[in-house]
Amino acid sequence: MGIYICTVCGYDYDPAVGDPAAGVAPGTAFEDLPEDWVCPVCGADKSMFRAQGNEGAKPAAPAGEPAARQAGAAADALVLAARCSNLARGCAKQYREEEAGLLTRLAAYFTAQAQPEGDADSLITLLKEDLDAGYPRAFEAARAAGDRGALRALTWGEKVARMRQGLLSRYQGQGAAAFEGAKLFVCEACGFIFAGDLPPDICPVCKVPRFKFNEVTRGASA
Amino acid sequence: MKAVRNIRLCTKDCLCLYVCPTGATDTDNGQIDAARCLDACRACVDACPSGAISLVPANYPPQQPTDESVKKPLQALSRSAARQEQAARAMAEGEPGPEGKRLAAALLASTRVTAEDLSREAGYLLPQSAEARAFIRELLESAQPAGFPREAAERLLELL
Repeated sequence: MGIYICTVCGYDYDPAVGDPAAGVAPGTAFEDLPEDWVCPVCGADKSMFRAQGNEGAKPAAPAGEPAARQAGAAADALVLAARCSNLARGCAKQYREEEAGLLTRLAAYFTAQAQPEGDADSLITLLKEDLDAGYPRAFEAARAAGDRGALRALTWGEKVARMRQGLLSRYQGQGAAAFEGAKLFVCEACGFIFAGDLPPDICPVCKVPRFKFNEVTRGASA
Repeated sequence: MKAVRNIRLCTKDCLCLYVCPTGATDTDNGQIDAARCLDACRACVDACPSGAISLVPANYPPQQPTDESVKKPLQALSRSAARQEQAARAMAEGEPGPEGKRLAAALLASTRVTAEDLSREAGYLLPQSAEARAFIRELLESAQPAGFPREAAERLLELL
């Protein structure tokens, strides 16, 4: 029975200890944990754990390049929306309120240009493509160029994408019951999603303090 | 360099009010009046016991360049994130119950944070940078559909 490490926050599941708080007795192998068991620190599900010594293991990249896809005008508009909302944040951090407001207006304009399209299945397919091919490729390029800023963003982005994939799979498996009674919080610095009563003291992905988590209370407004 | 106050850290010791030579720190909105703040004076920064005041420069150095070989895969991830936003928004509208809509909202917010981070590392870190200004200028120079807030983009070019 080996130790398993959470690839999101680094918590190690030791079978000798178990997870008594969640009703898992000492001596329970990782493989024997119930499928709905989640990381007691960050809430990541079992699929995000790797055997100790094998933490870096990634799913094998599919052979060949993924078929080139037409991004579409709507997706292009959302790329510009994110560029503008990112610059708006940069202004807000400098206390440049007028500039932040103008960039937020531009971001809202581009967001409104894009029609919603897809569903939970298409979202999970896109996440899988990113995790199988998009992130490994970007990591390789950033390592080759020695771009530490990009490596940092990719490390956060990949963990958070894995988290989104896990939450979405859980929802697809269990439906509305998946998060019933649990609050949902999003870290405003890295996008980590926490499902539970209270987010951890510091974000397991980017290490900002708890006050940077915002609770999502109802449906999205575009 | 102008002084700014992080109101989250401010413990209302008010030493900034005592030391400010112009009264710029004494306002009713929690912020320091930039019009009165003396360039690089820093009296309030040094006096503040809670470290709530810092100096923000008016001019920044040029951004560190991002290599084209890195930009490309980052941009590919940005486009994927954009499609994920579309799908999350479709979920927010299409999922039957409030639980699915709430999850969709969380996924959407999370995806946008990642998209912003990717944009930052692909060359749009600093709003005052040549890259960001060139981007806004391009928006004004290329054909945009009706409803594009031209005046917002024009005003940004004046301010940044």
